[in-house]
Amino acid sequence: MLDYILVQALNGLVIGVIYAVIATGLTVIFSILKIVNFAHGEVYMMGGYFAYFVIALLGLPPLLAVLVAMLLSFALSVLFERTLLTPLYSPTTERKGDYGILVTFGISILLRNLAIIVFGPFPLRPPSFFEGSLVVGNFVMSWDRVFAAGAGVVLLVGLLAFLSRSAWGQALNAVSQSRESAAIVGINDRLVYTLAFGLGGGLAGGAGALVGPIYALSPSMGLVPDTQAFVIVVLGGMGSVGGSIIAGLLIGVSEGLFVALFPDPTRSLAYAQAFSLLVLMGVLLVRPTGFFGRVHVAME
Amino acid sequence: MRRLPIAAMAAFAVLAFAYPHLVDAYWRTVGTLAIFYAIVAASWALLVGYAGQFSFGQMGFVSLGAYGSALLVQWLAIPFPIGMVAAVLVCTVVGAGIGFVCLRMRGPYLAIFTMAFSEVLRIVILTENEVTGGAGGLEVAPLFHSRTVFPYYYLALALLAGSLGLMGMMVASRWGLFFRAIRENEQAAAAAGVKVVRFRILVFAIGSGVAGLAGTFYAPFIGILTPDIGSVDQMGEVVAMAVIGGAESLPAAVLGAFFVEALFEALRAYGEWRLVIFGGLLLLTMRFARNGLLALAWEQVLRLGPVLQRARSIGRPAES
Repeated sequence: MLDYILVQALNGLVIGVIYAVIATGLTVIFSILKIVNFAHGEVYMMGGYFAYFVIALLGLPPLLAVLVAMLLSFALSVLFERTLLTPLYSPTTERKGDYGILVTFGISILLRNLAIIVFGPFPLRPPSFFEGSLVVGNFVMSWDRVFAAGAGVVLLVGLLAFLSRSAWGQALNAVSQSRESAAIVGINDRLVYTLAFGLGGGLAGGAGALVGPIYALSPSMGLVPDTQAFVIVVLGGMGSVGGSIIAGLLIGVSEGLFVALFPDPTRSLAYAQAFSLLVLMGVLLVRPTGFFGRVHVAME
Repeated sequence: MRRLPIAAMAAFAVLAFAYPHLVDAYWRTVGTLAIFYAIVAASWALLVGYAGQFSFGQMGFVSLGAYGSALLVQWLAIPFPIGMVAAVLVCTVVGAGIGFVCLRMRGPYLAIFTMAFSEVLRIVILTENEVTGGAGGLEVAPLFHSRTVFPYYYLALALLAGSLGLMGMMVASRWGLFFRAIRENEQAAAAAGVKVVRFRILVFAIGSGVAGLAGTFYAPFIGILTPDIGSVDQMGEVVAMAVIGGAESLPAAVLGAFFVEALFEALRAYGEWRLVIFGGLLLLTMRFARNGLLALAWEQVLRLGPVLQRARSIGRPAES
């Protein structure tokens, strides 16, 4: 029993890393554009399919496929940002928050149903990154999970380095603090918005590509991580990248433990989804600014 | 300005009464379904368009009303109308509860919270299959002995007229101004003396109650309830209806529902492309005609007469 709990906790940790990657993408978008991206889970889904088709059609090695999937997700997000989100930057648009919600919600419906037609409603499974499993004593974990967690950590570290060390990262940070001041010191804010939305999408797409061999791909695969990412972002404090990483790991592990400890095994998987949603509702009720929030950002 | 809507409403009422006699059984069913969606879309428009309370939980309340009334009738063997009233009361109370606990939240927080609420509800209904029938569905006894759709159609029409009348009276009164004041700026509204807390809870209660009412009708009409009725895609359909029609006006949302449902059936041959089309249409409407396609068309109609235009320029709100 204890072994089982440990395995579930470790599985949860792996998923937690993936959740953290998705959620940091959502956070980057939120802190710059000040909108919640309801299509984030669908970009994650597209990332998984991009990787699948790059492998199946072009025969690229899986590692490279993850990078290509990230680039394609970046491009897809930039496309949506350039065509649909520009009213967010115009002073004549009323209630920009509402506009952002509705437009991204529309994008999510469009992408999910388009995926059903283009990719088919049936689950697809891309080839493994590495065959076989890691065996330590009587503990077994597939290499795919180990690899996904490792790559996820690399992505997170890379993101943190990018945000703190590069000029672009500092521009992002500046715009997230004050659009006007950033414009005064000569930062092209339009470019920063595009970069932020693309970066968020790229992270989500990368997570989708990494998850592909572990869970199968399906058009509706974005729905659950989407809400999970909201939980994490809210828990970690909207706009805080570090908070999102911690909260992602926390949610992943507690979800694994929930599956292990729920008394009725036939229902534990179904209620694992409801569990994180209930956590989300609880957090929103008790501390809407999250537990690691760096600032209280007004939602308008 | 006043004349035209009344004439339009009268013409519309006559058309609605005559409609089931003019078409075949298939389109009668479609029409009934369209009225069901119209009620939901109007309740969403009240919450989002008027009061600015962003809710993605409307279909959750529909499924709460549908399952609630069906299960109450089954368990307690009470007559259907009592089950209906009870379920609507439950939805109103739960809606008021959500309005109360969400008082601190706004915009996306509220949208996420209500979406989570309706997803949790859907998962519970799906998982507790001994009670609800799960994915296999819950069979609901028909309401009328008649084999045709006529009684359902007129019941739906009566419910639509009743709920539109109730919500229309609310938004045409001072309350409507309070709602819009809250939508535009909560602090300013509070400073101007609007009881923000009371009206936010009120609008949630009414909006949820009306959605639940639509659900109680949907259950016996459709005959078999599945948890999918509360899914995000269903919510997306309602959002598309209200936004394409014009979410800031109740009649526009209703007409949007009719338009989208008719289009949905007309495009039946295209199968799964339909939701893609509506997603795209929703995006285009948001991007280029934010007040809705019908509101846009309505403005064109109003521009036809210079008299009407002068009446408009006096400053009366474009739709009320």
